[in-house]
Amino acid sequence: MERVAAAAMLVGLAIATVLGLWAAPPAVRAQAVDVYINVTGGGSKKLNIAIPEFTVVAGTDTGGVAKLLASVAGNDLTLSGFFSVVAGRPALPANNPEALMQAWTEAAAAGAHAGVHGLLGIRGERLEGEMRLYDLTTPDQRLIASRKFEAAAPQPALPSFDWRRRLAHKIADEIVLQFTGEPGVADTKLAYLLGSPGAKEIVVADYDGAGTTGATRNGSINLSPVWGPDARSIAFTSFMNGYPDLFRLFPFEPRRGVQTLASFLGINSSPAWSPDGKSLALTLSKDGNPEIYVLTVATGVLQRLTRHASIDTEPTWSPTGEQIAFVSDRAGQPRIFVMDRGGANVRQLTSGGFHTQPRWSPKGDTIVYTQRGATHDLWAISPGGSSPRPLTSGPGDNQGATWAPDGRHIAFQSNRTGRWQVFFMLLDGSATTQVTQGTAEATSPSWSPRLP
Amino acid sequence: MVTRAAHVTVMSLLLAGLIISGCAKRPATTAATSAPAPAPRAAAPATAAPAPAAPAPGPSAAPAPATAAPTTRPSPKEFTESAALKDVFFEFDKYDIRPEDTKTLDANAAWLKSNADNLVLIEGHCDERGTNEYNLALGERRAKSAMNYLVSQGVQANRITIISYGKERPVCNEQNESCWSKNRRAHFLVKAR
Repeated sequence: MERVAAAAMLVGLAIATVLGLWAAPPAVRAQAVDVYINVTGGGSKKLNIAIPEFTVVAGTDTGGVAKLLASVAGNDLTLSGFFSVVAGRPALPANNPEALMQAWTEAAAAGAHAGVHGLLGIRGERLEGEMRLYDLTTPDQRLIASRKFEAAAPQPALPSFDWRRRLAHKIADEIVLQFTGEPGVADTKLAYLLGSPGAKEIVVADYDGAGTTGATRNGSINLSPVWGPDARSIAFTSFMNGYPDLFRLFPFEPRRGVQTLASFLGINSSPAWSPDGKSLALTLSKDGNPEIYVLTVATGVLQRLTRHASIDTEPTWSPTGEQIAFVSDRAGQPRIFVMDRGGANVRQLTSGGFHTQPRWSPKGDTIVYTQRGATHDLWAISPGGSSPRPLTSGPGDNQGATWAPDGRHIAFQSNRTGRWQVFFMLLDGSATTQVTQGTAEATSPSWSPRLP
Repeated sequence: MVTRAAHVTVMSLLLAGLIISGCAKRPATTAATSAPAPAPRAAAPATAAPAPAAPAPGPSAAPAPATAAPTTRPSPKEFTESAALKDVFFEFDKYDIRPEDTKTLDANAAWLKSNADNLVLIEGHCDERGTNEYNLALGERRAKSAMNYLVSQGVQANRITIISYGKERPVCNEQNESCWSKNRRAHFLVKAR
């Protein structure tokens, strides 16, 4: 019920905006400097939200967690594309309704439509966070929803897991859920390659780029990291045993070694997990030519899908698992094709260009791919083949797309800064955000599903 | 509009979430514990773990069953350069042997035939443009084209191993056609039988 009310509030806001009736709260001009308006575009009006420093209700916050949570969750809300975060506010007092009301009145005057009251309990290596979401457009500052979260330091310690930040991500995803009906994607990870040709290692970081941690340290060439649908393992190609073989690693299970998935003669590459996680589509050349196969991981049974004298590679599953898009140069240049799960009914999806890297949206309605022109750019097309449209047009090359689980965000690699870095943007090409900043080249991102 | 659609999907999302989380628990462990690698070699990949960890206990340490082709792959590290064998080069996005390179391949074939105690490794390479996975396939085709030519000239196929490095091992790192054309190559290495 609460979620419906929140969604209704956003609908109401959207309608008011369309009609031009959305009147800013009276004092907004006086304090407009307090409002961060997200100017990266996106086409739709954003909801202004205030997220003050969390209120410490138990324990002593020696580590600045109350501030961290507000900062990280606030950034998550901005990156969601739905919200503009009203600038930093001091912590709200605990158990003081009048002071809370006063603070929300001030936030509303500064333009906020909604307010997040975060409460934080600190008990050693455990955190209890509570999120209370208020509608500041109503005179009574109605409580829309509240939810508690717990977080504890993982045992044994996991370097790749900043559990305090994760608490903030979960709170942000809950807020997005309350307003849109679908959780945000802040509680996810990006895997990508770090390094230059000849020495590329897989690293894992929070989706916003924080907490980069090595996942391979084999000094070899590692390629094509792809998260499994359970967000627990990453399939990848590696030359660690000399030839390009397929493996998977378990980034959150430090004691668990790497598993070999395929090491046939020739290339073992381009892994793509089926939506149920039981099968892996992949490219093998063991029968003489790069062809697409499906490997049932539990049994090792291999099914060949393509039989063509040209290159067939880069499979990507439809979210139903019934179709697979792939790259073939059977038309002279690499183009995107689609076939049934068993390899039948092959049809050409794109024409008139040099197209690789198809990635099927988790929502099913869009396939993003890379088109080579003066630069490499990301394009989108419907699975039926209609209305191909560019998502990027420079600067630099933009390629290697990977979908966030919401089907709205797309991460990719771009050399627009002079060096390959990972970025993400919204599906409409707006709100581009640079994720990696380092001096090493960052390529081949894979966006994880929501973490379990 | 967006929010209205989202609104409608709330329940279906919740249901989907329940289904997903309901399923996730079972295969998450079973798939991992029962997964035998379909590897042709009973290598020891588990001990080659890149993770900063001890060798895997339990499931993933199980040796892979040797179910596939008996053909073995000599380690690429065992092969060394030979001044007698020259590279051949390819046009952009092509893997057919250029007419001007047949002479080079004829000479390579002749040397290999008169040095029959040598095995040969053919590396296929691409330029930096384009994407990893496609270039890995393209490099494979280039190495294969060179191999087929050598076989057509009488070199025994069982002396030849191929490997694709895609665009991962360029010899030239500038961003111009002169450099790219050097990288689109098949390279030959040898080792004694």
